[in-house]
Amino acid sequence: MSLKWKTINIQKPGKKFNILGHMEQAYDVVVIGGGPGGMGAALGARESGVARVLILDRESEPGGILLQCIHSGFGLHYFKEQLTGPEYAERFLNKVIDDNVKIMAGSYVSGIAVDSDGTKQVRVLSEDHGQVIVKTRAVVLSMGCRERTRGAIRIPGTRPSGVLTAGLAQKFVNMMGMLPGKRIAILGSGDIGLIMARRLMLEGCEVVGVFEYLPYSNGLTRNVVQCLEDFGIPLHLSTTVAYIHGRDRVERITVAPVEKDLKPDLSQARDIQCDTLLLSIGLIPENELSQSLGIRLDLITGGPWVSSTLETSMPGVFACGNVLHVHDLVDYVTRESLLAGRFAGEWAQGVRRPVDNIRLIPGDNVRYCVPHSLSTEREHTIYMRCKTVMQPCKIRVGNLMEKKLRFVVPAEMIMLKIKPHLLDKFHGDTLRIDILPEDA
Amino acid sequence: MTMYDVVIIGGGVVGCSIARELSRFQVRTALLEQCAEVGFGTSKTNSGIIHAGHHSPPGTLKGMLVVRGNELYDRLQKELGFSFRRIGELVVAQSQEEIEILEHLKQQGVEKGVPGLEIWDQKRLLREEPNLSHTLLSALHAPSAGVINPYELAFALIENAEKNGVVLKVDSPVEKIEYQKDRLVLHTPTKKLATRFVLNCAGVFSDKIAQMVGLNDFVILPRKGEEYMLDKRLQGLVRRLIFPVPTKQSKGTLIIPTYDGTIMVGPTAQDTFDRYDVSTTYEGAKQVFEAVKKICPSISERDTITEFAGLRAVSNTNDFIIGTTAVKGFINVAGIQSPGLTAAPAIAEYVCDILENEGLELIKKPDFKPHIPKVSHFGNLSVAEQKRLIEENASYAKVICRCELVTEAEINHAIDHGARTLDGIKFRTRAGMGRCQGGFCAARCMNILAGHTGQAIHQITKRGSGSWIVTKMENHQHPKTGKEV
Amino acid sequence: MTEAEQYICIGCPIGCPLRLEHEGDKIIEISGHDCDRGAKYAKQEFTEPRRDFSTTVAISGARWNRLPVKVNRQIHKDRVMEGARIIHELQVEAPVKLGQVLIKNVFGEEGIDVVACRTMDRVIS
Repeated sequence: MSLKWKTINIQKPGKKFNILGHMEQAYDVVVIGGGPGGMGAALGARESGVARVLILDRESEPGGILLQCIHSGFGLHYFKEQLTGPEYAERFLNKVIDDNVKIMAGSYVSGIAVDSDGTKQVRVLSEDHGQVIVKTRAVVLSMGCRERTRGAIRIPGTRPSGVLTAGLAQKFVNMMGMLPGKRIAILGSGDIGLIMARRLMLEGCEVVGVFEYLPYSNGLTRNVVQCLEDFGIPLHLSTTVAYIHGRDRVERITVAPVEKDLKPDLSQARDIQCDTLLLSIGLIPENELSQSLGIRLDLITGGPWVSSTLETSMPGVFACGNVLHVHDLVDYVTRESLLAGRFAGEWAQGVRRPVDNIRLIPGDNVRYCVPHSLSTEREHTIYMRCKTVMQPCKIRVGNLMEKKLRFVVPAEMIMLKIKPHLLDKFHGDTLRIDILPEDA
Repeated sequence: MTMYDVVIIGGGVVGCSIARELSRFQVRTALLEQCAEVGFGTSKTNSGIIHAGHHSPPGTLKGMLVVRGNELYDRLQKELGFSFRRIGELVVAQSQEEIEILEHLKQQGVEKGVPGLEIWDQKRLLREEPNLSHTLLSALHAPSAGVINPYELAFALIENAEKNGVVLKVDSPVEKIEYQKDRLVLHTPTKKLATRFVLNCAGVFSDKIAQMVGLNDFVILPRKGEEYMLDKRLQGLVRRLIFPVPTKQSKGTLIIPTYDGTIMVGPTAQDTFDRYDVSTTYEGAKQVFEAVKKICPSISERDTITEFAGLRAVSNTNDFIIGTTAVKGFINVAGIQSPGLTAAPAIAEYVCDILENEGLELIKKPDFKPHIPKVSHFGNLSVAEQKRLIEENASYAKVICRCELVTEAEINHAIDHGARTLDGIKFRTRAGMGRCQGGFCAARCMNILAGHTGQAIHQITKRGSGSWIVTKMENHQHPKTGKEV
Repeated sequence: MTEAEQYICIGCPIGCPLRLEHEGDKIIEISGHDCDRGAKYAKQEFTEPRRDFSTTVAISGARWNRLPVKVNRQIHKDRVMEGARIIHELQVEAPVKLGQVLIKNVFGEEGIDVVACRTMDRVIS
């Protein structure tokens, strides 16, 4: 099979560039998803020494959700400067193109089959090329995540138009040039919701308030200050939307403080006029493809169970980015995906690392740890999230180490490096990680 | 002013069934629907059950029409291709007294000719439906009951009716009916239509329509039903429709394995005075989940993925009101509550008989086409079939809704066959019905719809009238569509 | 006369409630901070609060209707709305390149430019 691929309309600044070139017969690594995770994985794979790397992206251009995140705050760790989402994406895209990674946009992966020799056949529905089977040795899953919707939190009332997720509103405003409404309420204080509050104010909308059922904000303090306080938008903590009103379009919402069980106290409810309710109530890794492959998932993260090489329960299939667990910073996605790409590249070249011999157990105040297991021969970075706010506190890793932290909050990932010399002395097969009060 | 033989007011499954039945004959028929599309009222929020027929007492009109309606569904499905499957139903008894009611229901069903009724003992019941509560004593099994996507039925009926010459006018609420010598004149905000016969199929508004010609002999007391859709991972929890023993008010709260494999629980039965009240409530959810947990303990409110409510057009007679009135040419087809969906094809036959008795000549069209093209849901096809479709039409390879795997070709087809709103696309193709609830595909569907209809993006609605989705940016020069090129 | 300003530190998720006492332009005392970053932040907010500023402008002949843009330096907090007004007047035509200057010296200040945040090719529709 030697197909001539059509040039897609993405150019490297200054010169014409055909991203696809000729279709190879087979690839070493196929990356599913062309967001920051997918691009990082592709670069990581190339670094490991494999030549044939392909990114499959379901959108019409690669870049992922970064393309609609026009605010700055990306890249501080990786590029050491504050970039907007599109800038971060384009810098990576240029690296990927320069590195001879092939990209097939408008491509939806509808299934993966595994041959007896371990070769994977990725079935793709492509806007330009119809149904295509791509052969590869290794696969990296990097499909990202989706937003939780109204149904997930059960808000009673009518079902008018004007109830939408903050991310969809972001696409309407930042890419299509449309406003989701004029008078806007926001449920959930996640960063996308806070960022959208400011965006909509700048575009001439009225933002009547942000409502958060927890007693603290789920977003960065910087966003609470610069997106809400700067614009005089009220943040109502421990308050939720109890009812949606309106026949065709949202006309008003009922808000109420929440009681200890987090259910609304309807005796203290009040109505607020608005024509739009944006939901910023959390993200869920998008693992329908992983599930269809029978890959083992972690019920807490919603992502695959992965070893220390970020390999899933399916040999030769790796995962990184928000499909693995929802990250707080894109820089961490990049770091993780470079690693996943490297391991996938190694795998494609026949390198088999020793099997992990230590399983990680999330203990007190630890919601999850990724990866789920470690090997003793090299340094590891563990990503974690806590369950509740604690300050000051310490992380205890079995009997190997303790590390003091000024604080932990659920909205922020915790990164922990474990050096091989510590693990050298460890002979157990499970390692429990706890986050404890400092004086415990 | 165009003169019609019959004008149907209301494009629910009842109005659409009659329109399709009339389209067999050389009769000039129009259907007026107040919403942007047919099926957007009570039909869309129906539980989607084709009842076996043993619930309704003999001697009532609904009792008579339900069994015949059930029989007609196989042929209708073959002709129109909507989603319908006979999965059978079980009425389960939770106490000794209820076992007696099962016997009564069985007797009632046998008299009416309901096929295959059988009482199952506890052992049989739990073998067939192992996830039901072990406290259930026995059940009445009715194999002829089925599930259907009711909105698909309405879309298919009207498409076929239009193909055979029926005129459909949407966004056309009837505001006034004038009686002239030998005809009735109907006024909508934009037009006037003259007709010999008016069929009042206006559902929860049918008493209001009757009042327009001075008839005050019945009232509609809308009864709200809330339904809760559960996560797809519960697929297979029950294989048949599960009913508790009915009460006077309703058939009770059911467990419904929908055609698409999702478990749905509901409905409630709450009288309301607001004919637009389709809100879900805390109390409704509580009632539903308390009731179904008694029958199937593993169902939890936490599994809800979406919820909705609809209104039953219950009349004060508690039976269907179908027949001529004091006003010549004005025929009521009102008070069609449960089992109205099941009875609809039989109602259509019955209404044609009435029209014939009233002097309308029903001459068969020699060129009546009973079929509409079958639409396959791409995602349900085999790899080979998918490949073939893509070779025929490249837009089958363009995935628009990734949660439900809906392609551009299917969206195009839906629009070509009548979808005018985002809900119209959703209920025809499932785009936006999945886990992300349209978060990813809504913008794409809007672009495609705008491209077909020539509307600007901000003119596109969720379901017509005031349900706009986006509005213009002050500082943006708007091209015709917000299209991604 | 001593007056006080309240800030919430943005240095980390703890969000220390900061209090800055001053007499006119002169800072008397900063309190409430857990670490040095808090004091530094309060001082900056008091003397010259600065913000990143990015938005979108209308673009024609491109894949999308809006082009993301930013001001290449932080601007004073009070100029954000003014900046939005000026920038939103802008209409650009594809192609545009990442980093291309769209408005030079936006507030009449040397070196403060509005630049494109991505490349957008000309797309023939």
